[in-house]
Amino acid sequence: MRDVKVKANSKSTEEEENEMSSSLSVKSTPEIEKKYVHRVYDAIAPHFSSTRFAKWPKVAAFLESLPSGSVVLDAGCGNGKYLGLNPSCFFIGCDISNPLIKICSDKGQEVLVADAVNLPYREEFGDAAISIAVLHHLSTENRRKSAIEELVRVVKPGGFVLITVWAAEQEDKSLLTKWTPLSPKYVEEWVGPGSPMNSPRVRNNPFFGLESIPETDVSAKDQKAGLESIPETEESTREPKATQDSLGEQKDKSSVEVLLEALKMNQQEYFVPWHLPYHRAEVSGASASALASGLAKKDDRKGTVVYNRYYHVFSEGELERLASGVGNAIIVDRFYDKSNWCIVLQKEALNQD
Amino acid sequence: MRLIVHNMLTCNIKGVINKFPLRIEAEKVIKKEVDFNPDFLRHMLAKIEWKALVDGARSMGYTELPVHAPALESDEPFLRKFHHALLELNLEEGSLVCQESGRKFPVEKGVPNMLLHEDEV
Repeated sequence: MRDVKVKANSKSTEEEENEMSSSLSVKSTPEIEKKYVHRVYDAIAPHFSSTRFAKWPKVAAFLESLPSGSVVLDAGCGNGKYLGLNPSCFFIGCDISNPLIKICSDKGQEVLVADAVNLPYREEFGDAAISIAVLHHLSTENRRKSAIEELVRVVKPGGFVLITVWAAEQEDKSLLTKWTPLSPKYVEEWVGPGSPMNSPRVRNNPFFGLESIPETDVSAKDQKAGLESIPETEESTREPKATQDSLGEQKDKSSVEVLLEALKMNQQEYFVPWHLPYHRAEVSGASASALASGLAKKDDRKGTVVYNRYYHVFSEGELERLASGVGNAIIVDRFYDKSNWCIVLQKEALNQD
Repeated sequence: MRLIVHNMLTCNIKGVINKFPLRIEAEKVIKKEVDFNPDFLRHMLAKIEWKALVDGARSMGYTELPVHAPALESDEPFLRKFHHALLELNLEEGSLVCQESGRKFPVEKGVPNMLLHEDEV
């Protein structure tokens, strides 16, 4: 029998630790979410809540269609806009932001502070569940999938789940010019097994000459659309066709570089600004430390403290693909509405013999 | 926090098997009247883990619930007690305690905080 040479582990301790931390539970909150989701919402909660009052007709319709007496679980309920929307149902909301939950409880709503990726609920208690504009704040595919699995787990067999997320395909394209695409510095913070850098869509993109299985969902048309939507930044002024170099030249670049280019072409990671007026910032008190630490900056012209919120916007079909990976639920509706991709799942009913 | 929510809550600390129910340590309980809706109560009866409800109600000072839910669900006196325990007792201040790990989840101003620390995930 031929001797099999075992390659010595040449990784540094730091690399090993990074690998271990990235293989740590999917339920652990990555740094990028702590800084650019949790802290931001905590700081902006009352102002954010004051802007979130319009009830989205599609969500209202879903809730109104539920049988009277349904227990509805809202994971990531924010300021509780939808809690109690159907007065015949019993709503229980949770959010990771204490200040937002306080706004709900001040309204007399039944709420708790909890993590949508790890719901502290026993299975099948709910009749229905909703996740409205939440999953796009989760920074890895595994966490996004986990959150969907949680929603399905906590509803009864036959129960419905409505999920909405921001679309990469925004109706108002000018909005994208106000967003900051994630730069490599932030990418490196959270590159891990579940990151978009390692997602099949990026890795298998034939456009970049990577070793790949033929990908059916990335059409040339999609690529062009991706290019058009990239805001003017230093990176995007580079000639796009430089990336169409021969395979030989591609292979000379490190895989990280190639993936970073892929990221730009399929830009789905953004910082979306939130302008907190000065008088609001002073009241919250959180802004002083945010400014000091560089988490937020001042816009004197607008008189606001500007925070960035992390978003992974979803491309067409992505939410469906993610949801179809959840074993015990089927997709019963899917639609695009007001720049959001939306999906309704139904949990498998028990076999009735 | 009302017992309708408590009846669903679990301790998600990694490795914990006996995650439900959480024991209630009540410091402040208030009663808030809620409209009586028998249909809703019957719907809830199928979901509720009865012993957890009885124990939870006891912790909040209400001992009128029968040890077992009666077979005849339409019995109104029973439904009234069920209604009161499930929907009208509010834990304003206290803790929810994991029976296996002893971890206490605080309840402040009626809101439980179920977030885990990094080493618990």
